[in-house]
Amino acid sequence: MARLRTRGLTKRFGGLTAVDHVDFELGDELCSLIGPNGAGKTTFFDLLTGVLEPTEGTVERRRGDTWEDVTGAPPHATAASGVHRSYQITSVFPERTVHENVRIAAQAAGSDSYTLWRNAGAFDRYVEEADDILDRVRLADRADTPARSLSHGAKRQLEVAIALAGDPDVLLLDEPNAGVSSESVDDIVALIEDVASDHAVLLVEHNMDIVMNVSDRIVVLNRGSVIADGTPEEVRDDPAVQEAYLGGYEPGAARGTDRGEDGDTAEGSA
Amino acid sequence: MTETEATTEESWLVRYGREHVPHLLVIAFLALYPGLYTLAVGLSLPAPLGWVPDLLYAVLPRVDTMIVVLYFGLFAMSFDFVSGYTGYLSFGHAVFFGTGAYTVVLAANGLLPFVPSGTPFLLLLVLAGLLAVALAFAIGAVSFRLSGVYFAMITLGVSQVVYVFVRDWDYVGPNPKDGISVSFDLHPGAFEIGVPFVDALGLGIGKLTGDTLAIAGLELSTVEVSYYCIGLVVLVCYFAMQRVIHSPFGKVMLAIRENEERARAVGYDTYRYKLVAFAVSAFFAAVAGGLFAGYSRAVSPDETFFFLVTGDALLVSIIGGFGTLAGPLFGTWFDELLREFLSKEGTGGGLLPFLQEYLPQSVLDAVILNGMTVGEAVDTFLNGHASLYLGLLFVLFVLFVPNGLLGTVRERAGGRVSKRVAARLRSRGGTETARGTASEDD
Repeated sequence: MARLRTRGLTKRFGGLTAVDHVDFELGDELCSLIGPNGAGKTTFFDLLTGVLEPTEGTVERRRGDTWEDVTGAPPHATAASGVHRSYQITSVFPERTVHENVRIAAQAAGSDSYTLWRNAGAFDRYVEEADDILDRVRLADRADTPARSLSHGAKRQLEVAIALAGDPDVLLLDEPNAGVSSESVDDIVALIEDVASDHAVLLVEHNMDIVMNVSDRIVVLNRGSVIADGTPEEVRDDPAVQEAYLGGYEPGAARGTDRGEDGDTAEGSA
Repeated sequence: MTETEATTEESWLVRYGREHVPHLLVIAFLALYPGLYTLAVGLSLPAPLGWVPDLLYAVLPRVDTMIVVLYFGLFAMSFDFVSGYTGYLSFGHAVFFGTGAYTVVLAANGLLPFVPSGTPFLLLLVLAGLLAVALAFAIGAVSFRLSGVYFAMITLGVSQVVYVFVRDWDYVGPNPKDGISVSFDLHPGAFEIGVPFVDALGLGIGKLTGDTLAIAGLELSTVEVSYYCIGLVVLVCYFAMQRVIHSPFGKVMLAIRENEERARAVGYDTYRYKLVAFAVSAFFAAVAGGLFAGYSRAVSPDETFFFLVTGDALLVSIIGGFGTLAGPLFGTWFDELLREFLSKEGTGGGLLPFLQEYLPQSVLDAVILNGMTVGEAVDTFLNGHASLYLGLLFVLFVLFVPNGLLGTVRERAGGRVSKRVAARLRSRGGTETARGTASEDD
């Protein structure tokens, strides 16, 4: 079932068109969004989550049998409607414990956040939800560690854990592997595949091995436009994609190469 | 209760009491302070130790000063409540303190529409708080659209506008610049803290107009009665704010402080949360202002709405521990203690009269430089320069004790003091648990 779509979505910054008339639809699948640095992937995420307002076009959510226009809904409203994101550059609550990071995100989905007089620890369901999510991302043994003292790899797991809290329908994962060393990549990939089993996932990823292995579908963005959309096999053999991005991709060759420094953050994901 | 039950399933009262051991100790000390002070300065010791009571008199703050610690400490806590916990520096917080103070005095003088002059003091405090809440929503609605230094500037700007306005507002009295006092014709009685409308269940505050009390063979002066009454209100306010900080709402405040963008992305409309936090803090700031006005019966724009009043709250918050609720109270305590210790004779001081009395005449007359004697030097350096030394001390604090008094204690203890003490007490029984003790600095 399709959950989220865009119609003619466009974002211009002055003379630069970062996202150019994108028609996109996300169903219950793991869809990867790839493209060279500066292709507009993070801007596209920001448009989907309401951080940026589109210049033209609409963002729509599925409500039963109809599509509801949610263009320009602010980030908190987007999150409340079940679209959660993770960040390319780790964005957690550094002085809180790992458990509290996830608990506070779980609490956002409930209706108790304006309670002023009861102790936060008395709301068991958020505590339990945080426990479950930490089990799932395998951070349970670090639950009482302040987030700032986690290793980079563990922070990336926490990043996904925060996005998972509150049971979203759609997960937008912005390079969950950014800067992760090659031996830890497998943990994150296992995590992505795991969360894709019960969420619609849109994944931005630069490691082509991962993209080809985990994706049900791949969308290629170049200079703000969709230039290919299909199964991994179709996209791999597409000559336009070869020219714009893959440039002679061989399976296995990308492993261990430098990812992480991505230029298309300039539009404000950091 | 059998013994096995007692060890496995201890009563909530014991658990609650244990988590509040530091609170109870501080409250007990503050409650005993007037008695201790009277004892300490009234000591008469034999000849070789005769100087001890005089030294204690010089060092210990008077009960009068401790009242300032209480109400200004409450104001500083309310300042820290929004500034330290959401990270938005409320640089115009004095406007709420002033609102509280002026509400009480104007109401007592019958100048507040619909509020009769004899309205019970506690109701006036609540009314002052609600007016401040309304003002906070108005100021916050504009200023929370900005962040960081711009937020601080907007709040500062608004409070200065109000300050200038009140200074020239001749509705409040004939000489608004110098402030106004409570009229003895319109409001002859003291402001009472107790059950509203029941005179027998309330005690008046104020140095001249307040009540004295004889209880269990002890004679409490007006100042001591005021100290306990004001202390009670401050205590209730402290626990109310602490409750909010530990509530789900308080956790959102901390999330905003640490990463507002992510707080928004997980689904919090941070603008609204900040507004509510600002309003809560304004309420208690106004209560503090009201207590000040009720005790002193006179207010002036410079003591209430002026931006340096906020500056003092910021100073004591940093000394006491920014982002800790009780810290600003300890900071105020420390500040007032030093201020009194370094002040000149006749204002409760301090070091200067003590030195002048106890240094031998030969030392006082000794010449240091260019004909200046030790006695003159003592006078030159200590007479009326308390603010100078406090300023220096503030710089040293920022450099060497950046977490403040309570923040540093918390860091050393490895968590919130009450949690750590509770854990320590519990571990004697051998049942320490991990969660909740680690790095929960709120």
